[in-house]
Amino acid sequence: MNGAQIDHRLIDGKAVMARILDEVSAYFAEAAIGGRVARLVSVSIGDSPEVAVYVRNQARAAVKAGIRFDQELWSNEVSQEDCKQLIHEMNDDPEVLGIILQRPVPDHINVRSLQSAIHPLKDVEGMNPASIGNIVYSDMALAPCTAAAAVMLIKETGLDPKGLEVVMIGHSEIVGKPVALLLMAEGATVTVCHHMTRSLAIHSRRADVLVVAVGKAHLIGADMVKPGAVVIDIGINHVVGSDGKSQIVGDVDTDAVKEIAGWVTPVPGGVGPVTVAMLMRNAMAAHQRQKAVGWIE
Amino acid sequence: MTATIIDGKEFAARVRVKVGNHVTRLKNDHGITPGLAVVLVGEDLASQVYVRSKGKMTVEVGMKSVEHKLDINTAEADLLVLIDQLNNDLDIHGILVQLPLPKHLDEELVINSISPAKDVDGFHISNVGLLGTGQKSMVPCTPLGCLMMLRDHHGSLSGMNAVVIGRSNIVGKPMAQLLLGDSCTVTIAHSRTKDLADVVRRADIVVAAVGRAEMVPGDWIKKGATVIDVGINRLNAPEKGEGKTKLVGDVDFDSCAAVAGAITPVPGGVGPMTIACLLANTVTACCRANGLDEPEGLTV
Repeated sequence: MNGAQIDHRLIDGKAVMARILDEVSAYFAEAAIGGRVARLVSVSIGDSPEVAVYVRNQARAAVKAGIRFDQELWSNEVSQEDCKQLIHEMNDDPEVLGIILQRPVPDHINVRSLQSAIHPLKDVEGMNPASIGNIVYSDMALAPCTAAAAVMLIKETGLDPKGLEVVMIGHSEIVGKPVALLLMAEGATVTVCHHMTRSLAIHSRRADVLVVAVGKAHLIGADMVKPGAVVIDIGINHVVGSDGKSQIVGDVDTDAVKEIAGWVTPVPGGVGPVTVAMLMRNAMAAHQRQKAVGWIE
Repeated sequence: MTATIIDGKEFAARVRVKVGNHVTRLKNDHGITPGLAVVLVGEDLASQVYVRSKGKMTVEVGMKSVEHKLDINTAEADLLVLIDQLNNDLDIHGILVQLPLPKHLDEELVINSISPAKDVDGFHISNVGLLGTGQKSMVPCTPLGCLMMLRDHHGSLSGMNAVVIGRSNIVGKPMAQLLLGDSCTVTIAHSRTKDLADVVRRADIVVAAVGRAEMVPGDWIKKGATVIDVGINRLNAPEKGEGKTKLVGDVDFDSCAAVAGAITPVPGGVGPMTIACLLANTVTACCRANGLDEPEGLTV
């Protein structure tokens, strides 16, 4: 691409992804000198086209990161107890570096209980309560990938989160709350808004950094953003465009907002690719931790 | 002065009555007596006072109280053996290790070796994570007490702007999680926050937990806001006589009370709630351990 065509108001998630994967790949290349590195295992329960897309993206990123990646597909009928048993076996298997439990899972499966069953040192998605507990206590090593990606992209602007006013819209367990905790640990003043928040715009307009994760297409317009702010868009919404074709848009009206904001992450191509890269980075962190406790040489 | 004074002593007494009633029901209907074990290592004076008053109140509400006083030089391995025994003791539903521990003991390791289901302080890393993700957990006593007072005063907190000043692990962070759980819009402010006054001024609920005497003046408070003061700071009080001291909170009580709608005093506000919530947590843990319904109004 010609340099003149790049819009520098858009933060390029793919470039950040490539940089992270290079870093991870260099780490594992060195680790492999000492012996074969264990593999990442992706577990999908039941067949779902949605999940298949995630897994494909993760597998591709793993190749670039130099990590072996196995895909397991468990039957739709598998019981909770069997799942737990299989996870425990992977916890004990030195050939397994980390476990990824793809969501959604079938209705009869309690996903939280399975996330709790994954050993914290193999919890590359950062979803075990103990992993979240570590985040609360400001140990950031294994953070949930999407939240970690949001923080990474904020830093990509060159701004130091310390002292910034951050407004997080959405308080989900996998994104909103961990983003708030991560940025608070970085010294930001964080406000968490959600569907019960009165006058959302009053909050969003004073944000130096606005992070949006609610799943409502184009919820955030230009009038809700402070001039010069950093806007991180975590939403992924499928909408039908004016041409009748389905397209993916974020929670932010990117075209309008980029005229006001200092930076905005595009959808697609912003938080998404960095999230996958953070999964690989977590695999690296897991490897380092397993080494530190003596699981691996 | 316009603000309603939220009387923590009186409210804590009401909570203890509720706990006591529930204990009676557990005994009569199920033959179960909730048990709380408190472990104290060393002879820290303040800790001894706490432990004594915890033990006394535990017995007063009809629960079993067990105290383990260990020598200051107790080896970590021996402490872990004791915790393991308590973890496996079916008559013990809550375990509290009094902090701070002597320097040679790894506090994090010790706390995380308590069974999460018996961790009535709510400091185990799994409980922290469960609360952080909105799941059932043991909730730290002080923020639980603040939440109970807020719920009692307001009914629903939904949609209110809450500002928590201070991001400590034992108060600020869990308090923010609890307020989010009750659908407040929550801001966590701290020492790095710019324009703290402006941030606090937009709050319908202010929870001050920074540990700086009278740091929040009345002109930071929105008219009619509810102010919860978690701070306990000892200041010299020469006006009371030579060498005398007094306790003050993190907010300047007189100027804040002139503006606020409701306010907790120091002492006699949040303080008494902490032990009451410890007892409440023990009953909750006991009910969960026995597969019984949790006591209403005593947990999140």
